[in-house]
Amino acid sequence: MSSPAKKILIVDDDHDFAEAVSSYLEAQGYVVVTAHEGREGLKLAKMERPDLIIMDIVMNERTEGFFTVQELRRTAELKAVPIFVMSSLYSKITDFGVPPDSGWLAHDEFFSKPVEMPALVEKIRQRIGGGEATA
Amino acid sequence: MSEPAERETIVVIDDDYAIRLSCRKILSKMGFRAETFEDGAQGLEGVARLKPGLAVVDLKMPGISGMEVIARVHEIDPEIVVVVITGYPTIDTAVAAMKCGAYDFLPKPFSPDELRLIVNRGLERRRLAIESRRAEVERALLKRRFVTFVSHQLQTPLVAIHQYLSVLKNLDDTDDAAAKRQQWFDRCLARTGEMQTIIKDWLTLSRIEGDRLSRQRVKVDLKRIVTDILATYEEMARRNTVSLEVRMPEDAYLVRGDRNCLIVLFDNLIVNAIKYNKPGGKVTVSGEAREGEVEISVTDTGVGIPEKYRQLLFDEFFRVEDEGSKKTAGTGLGLAISKRIVSEMGGSIEVESQVNAGSTFRVRLLAFRAQAGEEDNNRSANEFTSEEDTDRGR
Ligand SMILES: Nc1ncnc2c1ncn2[C@@H]1O[C@H](COP(=O)(O)OP(=O)(O)OP(=O)(O)O)[C@@H](O)[C@H]1O
Ligand SMILES: [Mg+2]
Repeated sequence: MSSPAKKILIVDDDHDFAEAVSSYLEAQGYVVVTAHEGREGLKLAKMERPDLIIMDIVMNERTEGFFTVQELRRTAELKAVPIFVMSSLYSKITDFGVPPDSGWLAHDEFFSKPVEMPALVEKIRQRIGGGEATA
Repeated sequence: MSEPAERETIVVIDDDYAIRLSCRKILSKMGFRAETFEDGAQGLEGVARLKPGLAVVDLKMPGISGMEVIARVHEIDPEIVVVVITGYPTIDTAVAAMKCGAYDFLPKPFSPDELRLIVNRGLERRRLAIESRRAEVERALLKRRFVTFVSHQLQTPLVAIHQYLSVLKNLDDTDDAAAKRQQWFDRCLARTGEMQTIIKDWLTLSRIEGDRLSRQRVKVDLKRIVTDILATYEEMARRNTVSLEVRMPEDAYLVRGDRNCLIVLFDNLIVNAIKYNKPGGKVTVSGEAREGEVEISVTDTGVGIPEKYRQLLFDEFFRVEDEGSKKTAGTGLGLAISKRIVSEMGGSIEVESQVNAGSTFRVRLLAFRAQAGEEDNNRSANEFTSEEDTDRGR
């Protein structure tokens, strides 16, 4: 590969979900970093500068993912990073109700959990490219 | 964070003109709306009107003293962060100001950088405090939408299992994948176990609510129940290097109730006392039989429960989210179930705890009293014996 591999940050409090998804993405040639709560995700996003972020919505028994998205969007150097939000709570983003402010809507794509891996990779590829299988 | 979302207001109260001027300059440059006042009275009026996130207060001013200003600012809004400045920095004044509720201390003269640092730190703390309060509210809201919450609790392990299976199916057969496979199967099994526990607990809870389990009212000896439960946890206690002790001097502690429910109740308390203990710790179950009342206490020498959580403990799905307990598995239904069982039987349960020292869960139940038609002591004693006998046969 000529260009360096694209980097994806997964923020999900379910370690197993994160492990499964990251293994698959790694096998597709992406570099993956993982955080298990919003604050840690924010820190990693600043440090690692990922090309794309996958964010769980319900963490820590609340919609921590929304607040984290909001914080990410407030951070100048991260404003442009695509964010895919995911949840098993509802199947549509609108089911979460009226957002208290626009930060809630500042994501790029919503996925209902569990996610179909090939479909996810397809969307990621459309967004940031990369994803040629290594090996 | 460096850039404030919407312009945060900061109020500066100082009788020194030069300080007011320079604070205003520095703070405006940082992007804040800075408003200055030359004495406490005007300053407090300004605080009430402007609702600032942070107030910089000079300690030594004519009129209302700085200490009093701090207290009055917090009467207006306890979440305003107060930073104190003074020309006579001594440990004593610093301590006194902190006691009055000041967050930080800035000795005169100070550099622009020092002011910036302290203001940013103060606002960050405020943000955290506000966020954690909002988190509490949101958590409570989510749980009130009960069906949604429970289905999410059940979905979570199911999603993890599905995700593993989906990845296993799509992953090419590399060596790496083969190595992970075994591990992932184990995780899937663990997660199905988690689901089963949630469902089981959930059923217990709804059965108590539906008043089916607890309709049975027989004579039960709590000493027997407790010793039986402890026997089944000897192995777990040994693994956690926790010792178990029973202090129940009477021959029997008799109550009237549902046997299975009472087992669930003390099982929960005892498991918690072992789970949330420390290596080398101890669990003591003690009993006291008083006039008309039986009291059983389960005491541990474990991590303890911070005061702010004590009222929430008995809520469904509540779990303390600290480093230690996060690692311990649980669904947060145990104490909710216990509480329902106790109330169902007309008793009470309360908790006493000291962080890092341990907790005591105290259950009080009405003592068994023979009812009309049961006065025949021999007969009820026989019934009792036979009930216990069948149990032993299990
Ligand atoms: N003896 C104890 N010492 C310290 N913390 C405790 C103790 N008992 C309960 N807790 C705290 O209260 C929370 C709720 O307890 P509860 O028994 O309801 O749920 P759980 O133990 O998490 O899960 P389960 O439903 O499997 O019992 C626990 O997560 C724990 O944080
Ligand atoms: Mg428990």
